[in-house]
Amino acid sequence: MTESSLQLPSTHSDAHEQNGHSPTTLPQLQHVIEHAAHFLPAQGPITVFVHHNTLHAFEELPFHDAVKKASRLFGNQPYLSEERYRQKLARQRIRSADLEAVLREDLGSAADEAVLSFGTRLDLRLAMLQYSLLQGPEAELHWFVAETAALRRYRPDAPPAVRERFLEETRHWVMRDVRAGRDASRDVRHTKRPHEALADLLQDFGEASMEHWSDATWEAFSLQALWRCCSEGVHHVKAAHTPGLAVTRHRDLLLEATGEDVDLLVDDVLIRFCAAFLDQGFSTWALPHRNEGFFRSFCTIYKQPAGPVDRWMHGLAKELIRLEQAGTTPLESVLESLELLGVAEHEWEGFITASLLALRGWAGMIRQMEIRADRVAVPAPPESLTGYLAVRLVLERLALQYLAREALHYEGPLHRLREAARAKIHKPQGPVAEQRAFCVFQLAQVMGWTPPALYRLSKHDWATLLSEIETFNGLERRRVFHMAYERRYRTQVLDALAIHANKPPVRVANPQFQTICCIDDREESLIRHLEELEPNVECFSVAGFFSVAMYYRGAAEAHFIPQCPIVVRPQHWVVEDVVYTLEEVHRRRARARRALGAASHQFHVGSRTFTGGAVLAAFLGVLASIPLVARVLFPRLTAQIRRMVGRLVQPPPITQLRLERERDTPGAEDGHIGFSTEEMANIGERVLRDIGLTSGFARLVFFLGHGSSSLNNPHNSAYNCGACAGSAGAPNARAIAQILNDVRVRELLAERALIIPKETVFVGGYHNTCDDSVTYFDLARLPKSHQAEFEKAHELIEEACDRNAHERCRRFQSAPLDLSFSAARRHVEERAEDLSQTRPECGHATNAICVVGRRSRTRGLFMDRRAFLNSYDPTQDDDECTILMRTLAAAVPVCAGINLEYYFSYVDSPGWGCGTKLPHNVASLLGVMNGAASDLRTGLPWQMVEIHEPVRLLFVIETTPEAMTRIMDRNETIGRLCRNDWVQLAVLDPHSSRIHVFHNNRFELYRPETSELPQVTTWVDWYRGWRDHLGFAQLVPPIPSECPPRWCAGRVSQKPPLSPTQERNHV
Amino acid sequence: METLTTVLGLTVVGAPVVLFAVLGIASLLRKPLPEDATSRLVAISICIGLLAAIAVLGLLLGQGLDHRTIGVGDWVHLQQPHYHFSFKLRFDALSLPFVFLAFLLCGTIGAFGTRYLHRDPGYNRFFVLYAMFVVGMVLSALAGTIETLFTGWELVGLSSALLVAFFHERPMPVQNGLRVWAVYRVSDAAFLTAALVLHHLRSEGDFDALLGTGAWPGGQAALTQKQALIVGLLLLVAAMGKSALVPFSGWLPRAMEGPTPSSAIFYGALSVHLGAYLLLRVGPIIALSPWLAAAVVAVGLLTAVFAALATRAQTDIKSALSFASLTQVGIIVAEIGLGFRWIALAHLLGHACLRTLQFLRAPTLLHDYRAMENAIGSRLPRLSGSWGGYFPEALRIWSYRFFVERGYLDSCLTEYVTRPFTTLFRWCDAMERRWTNVLSGGESRESDQLSPSAGSLEDLG
Repeated sequence: MTESSLQLPSTHSDAHEQNGHSPTTLPQLQHVIEHAAHFLPAQGPITVFVHHNTLHAFEELPFHDAVKKASRLFGNQPYLSEERYRQKLARQRIRSADLEAVLREDLGSAADEAVLSFGTRLDLRLAMLQYSLLQGPEAELHWFVAETAALRRYRPDAPPAVRERFLEETRHWVMRDVRAGRDASRDVRHTKRPHEALADLLQDFGEASMEHWSDATWEAFSLQALWRCCSEGVHHVKAAHTPGLAVTRHRDLLLEATGEDVDLLVDDVLIRFCAAFLDQGFSTWALPHRNEGFFRSFCTIYKQPAGPVDRWMHGLAKELIRLEQAGTTPLESVLESLELLGVAEHEWEGFITASLLALRGWAGMIRQMEIRADRVAVPAPPESLTGYLAVRLVLERLALQYLAREALHYEGPLHRLREAARAKIHKPQGPVAEQRAFCVFQLAQVMGWTPPALYRLSKHDWATLLSEIETFNGLERRRVFHMAYERRYRTQVLDALAIHANKPPVRVANPQFQTICCIDDREESLIRHLEELEPNVECFSVAGFFSVAMYYRGAAEAHFIPQCPIVVRPQHWVVEDVVYTLEEVHRRRARARRALGAASHQFHVGSRTFTGGAVLAAFLGVLASIPLVARVLFPRLTAQIRRMVGRLVQPPPITQLRLERERDTPGAEDGHIGFSTEEMANIGERVLRDIGLTSGFARLVFFLGHGSSSLNNPHNSAYNCGACAGSAGAPNARAIAQILNDVRVRELLAERALIIPKETVFVGGYHNTCDDSVTYFDLARLPKSHQAEFEKAHELIEEACDRNAHERCRRFQSAPLDLSFSAARRHVEERAEDLSQTRPECGHATNAICVVGRRSRTRGLFMDRRAFLNSYDPTQDDDECTILMRTLAAAVPVCAGINLEYYFSYVDSPGWGCGTKLPHNVASLLGVMNGAASDLRTGLPWQMVEIHEPVRLLFVIETTPEAMTRIMDRNETIGRLCRNDWVQLAVLDPHSSRIHVFHNNRFELYRPETSELPQVTTWVDWYRGWRDHLGFAQLVPPIPSECPPRWCAGRVSQKPPLSPTQERNHV
Repeated sequence: METLTTVLGLTVVGAPVVLFAVLGIASLLRKPLPEDATSRLVAISICIGLLAAIAVLGLLLGQGLDHRTIGVGDWVHLQQPHYHFSFKLRFDALSLPFVFLAFLLCGTIGAFGTRYLHRDPGYNRFFVLYAMFVVGMVLSALAGTIETLFTGWELVGLSSALLVAFFHERPMPVQNGLRVWAVYRVSDAAFLTAALVLHHLRSEGDFDALLGTGAWPGGQAALTQKQALIVGLLLLVAAMGKSALVPFSGWLPRAMEGPTPSSAIFYGALSVHLGAYLLLRVGPIIALSPWLAAAVVAVGLLTAVFAALATRAQTDIKSALSFASLTQVGIIVAEIGLGFRWIALAHLLGHACLRTLQFLRAPTLLHDYRAMENAIGSRLPRLSGSWGGYFPEALRIWSYRFFVERGYLDSCLTEYVTRPFTTLFRWCDAMERRWTNVLSGGESRESDQLSPSAGSLEDLG
């Protein structure tokens, strides 16, 4: 590459000199970069996976506008495809009534306006939704018309009556008018007379023998006439100019003009360098000069002589040396590149956004490491993202220069490249005539628009018709479909609730024990089974960090980990200690663990080195076949053996949390660990008042945190507790139980009128949602008086876990439908230990509802593990709804975040999500790439969301419309999410079963569509044998003496599943 | 007894062939088998193959034979001049362990894959290619003639390249698959030439005749030193391509595009060792020529050192593992050059098992690191060794870039081999176009008019 073609500013920069930028230019550029950076994925390292709204940056906009805008910007899909929705229509998952209702709402009074003489707008749009309209490039349509039966056979899916009428009328018209040369056309000036237009057609078909034409001939003739008529009709109407995507990047234009992609060259270098820059300690050879920032480090490394031999990179070293010698800062370099590329100031925003989004995963991660430096081991220095952009633009310049010459034969300056590329692109703007005509042609058949009727249209009429059709474009249709899809489920939920909640809410009197679980949708079934097994149990749900916001370090752990929602920054530190008597054992085992850990690290790294690898492979390699075969073929057995061995070096089983602080200020050092008694009392009060458990305590109260364990799963953290920021909630459950058992805390609480009886004991536990095991903490301190009761409760919870596993298994194809409860438990245990299992559990998939209210309103209702349940007692709240306000402040963003992340990862898995897990490759210890080298993939993997139904979360809150409106006014986040339709909202009256739905910024009374709800005597009857999503049902327990609640008791006949279907909603 | 051995020997190859035929024909008829049938079939055929191989070993030991060759027919037999191409299977101390290894690893991966690929749209395709791979692997291992070996070699190459491009809806896997395929073609060409030269020299390709009838690793090749050098160098090029030795190393990390199990077995364990296996098989030829042996050692060591350094600079687990794998393959090749054939065989078998396990567990990396950190009680130290400090900084930076960029090997091949090639053919193409334009009196090629980028069909409004 010669120097002149490199366009060094010193020799060749008219643009540069003319611009002579003012002192405000750089800050402004910085501002533009920062603004553009907001669009980058906000996902941090996947070791601590925090669910968040994929389109968080667009929350200021209403949902539908936001997805439309974002999908254009990111090039991803906003909704499912029309075809998918139409399948759901065929299966009655969406009903025509839903479509009509949504359309009516959407169109308002315009729905019943007539479109020419062709029926109402509503009819037209309904037809466009119900019948698929083939669209395609011109060539495909040509092929379709010529090679298929499109011009010989009437659309087979059109209503037969319409077809009959169409053929008959056309036949009459041809025989009476066309043949006779009579003309019904009003506007003679512009359209050819039908007889002339169809003359050659008539001749081809044999006009003379018209009387003898068969039905098939008539059909073919009518269709050809129709096609003619449509083609001519659209011919005179100008297509509305649809502005294409605003293309500002040179790369896009060059790609379109030549098929050569600059990003392929640039990304290849950048991916490797970004990975090295962000590496959290995987590579044994660290990036030199990393601390000097992205830009400097890149310059230092790539300015070395004798570098890569790729032709396009020939000028790189020289360019970097020039930049370094001139002392150019990253920001200045960006500015310089923009000038050289001829990007004017008004284009900056679009250009920079598009450039950053080109490798959005890596760029986003650089930004996260920069702004959330507290959360990672090796943070990125400030200005890293600007440095990244500067490097990217330098590389792009070189690659553009090279490819422009090679593929476009363009030798001029870069700032004129875009014009040169545009000149080579010949692409029609908007739809071409064939495409428009074909659309009308297809619609005419289902609507019964006959050739005579169409020939009668004036030029103006044609324009009206086309604009009517084209305004209801694919995106609009999908939006309407989506709303109908959501509407269908919403009515089912609200109908079920309206029926089910139609009885006075009563708490369980003298419960045998109480449980408090996380609000997680996966706990819904556990609670439900527990309540079925023992009606005398009372269950509550609250965000799974149980108000204990802390940094926590276990006895066998290296680091403090935040255990609270991402929005909270903990102020307290808690550690787990081994009890003093076992201190010596603990120390010994810790030493053993350290030695083993160091050895396995040596092995890990050593097996990849020259000598270490040779020794290991040659002498021990064959032994690796034993774990290899054992783990793949017998995962559960191998896991049991491994656990047995592991127990030898685990910390001794008796440990305790250091919860109480000695000094005044909290901190991570000895003495500063823990909470003060006052703080503990506050936490205890907060959690009990939130769920409304202020009286009627049972003798045993369980707090159950949850988490998930699985192998070979980089996204494991995403299955953990959302309220604990991607960690397991076990320490929080343990801590809250210990706090509430503390006598001094109880005394303080009693002063605040919250009296916990002496005989009440709290027990912390941990539910593993993958293998459905429950473990308990601090049982050594359980009073003798409570042991018998604990054992009984323990048995019940175990049984409930078996049943929970059983219900989960219906979704797993590899689990036969006739599994027994215990076999189901074994099945899920095996999944958790299986290296080859890409779906250890289903996570939050199918989540769709969030109920905030008393459990008694939903108890005994089958919600198919699709509901977040959040306990809240409106009768105990004050007039200001303080409790509800703080509950929702956490619940709305957290649950909406989970739901929306699932939504987007489902509707466009490779786009918003991270696609299939199969080729994932863990990079830099913080994320996954596809295969050898790709952008860092953010979002959820397909295997995780596979059975999800992408609907926006429906909040049903037990309060009044007025109270809810006040909360939306007072809390900005809640208001934004609800008012901009990122979630659906309904309120359930605390004293009746009246429901108000929030719609168009106001609450409307909901009128149930049905008054019937299926009833079952046991849950097993309802779900057994079904793999698909299930509708709602009510539990009506049998009279105990007659029929024991066992699943073998027989099936209940009335079981209409939600969708009688072929679509597989199981994995 | 003789017949029993023959039957069992044929079963070893027959089992995977039947599997391939059933899966392949069902797919051709557009009636792919359901998942559970496929997985059962895979399990059965691999088990039968493995058991048959064990039985053959038992029979050989029982009879006190050190090897046994089974003929599957003479396909071409010319009297004048004397040429014959025959298909033979050879069971000996080299092929049997390798066949065991192939069945063991393929069987494990088969079981792994049936769960790992569950519900993937490419499930059937994966197992068709998998079956093709197993056939190729077993054939290569048991080959008793050079043409048999070539057949297996080709099947392995084809299935490997197609598995790299498994996710063909994305451009990168397809590009990388094509690159793997291109390198394989080069090595295949060398192999084919070697086979032709051998036939030319000896008028047959039977290992029995070429490498002496003695049991492996003994045997005396029936070639002159000069002949051995020529044939040996060609075979070395073949092995270099297949085993990703320098300068062909670039394709190995790129091969990590497929699903994890296929990366594990094909590039981590079996495919990549096939070149070394070839060299082991023709060990007697290498032993004939000191120059050839020196070349083998040099290529092996160069690769090992290069890969050992490159793996240190990699930041993703699959690339790191693939270079680690390459390090050992390089050492194995060097061992073969030095004549330590038993050591090389043991090294190869151990390495394949170890690396397969590591590849399969690659997605557990984050979990493992966390567990190790917890055990140690702090962040993990970088085990980089202190020797780096002896070199000047500029050299360290330079070499860091060299190894992060994977030694520029791919760029060099592109620039110095591919480019002259394509330039030449483009020139020919341009000439032809000119000529056809003259003949047709205008633009003669319709494809020139098409836009290089197909517009998106998805409607975003």
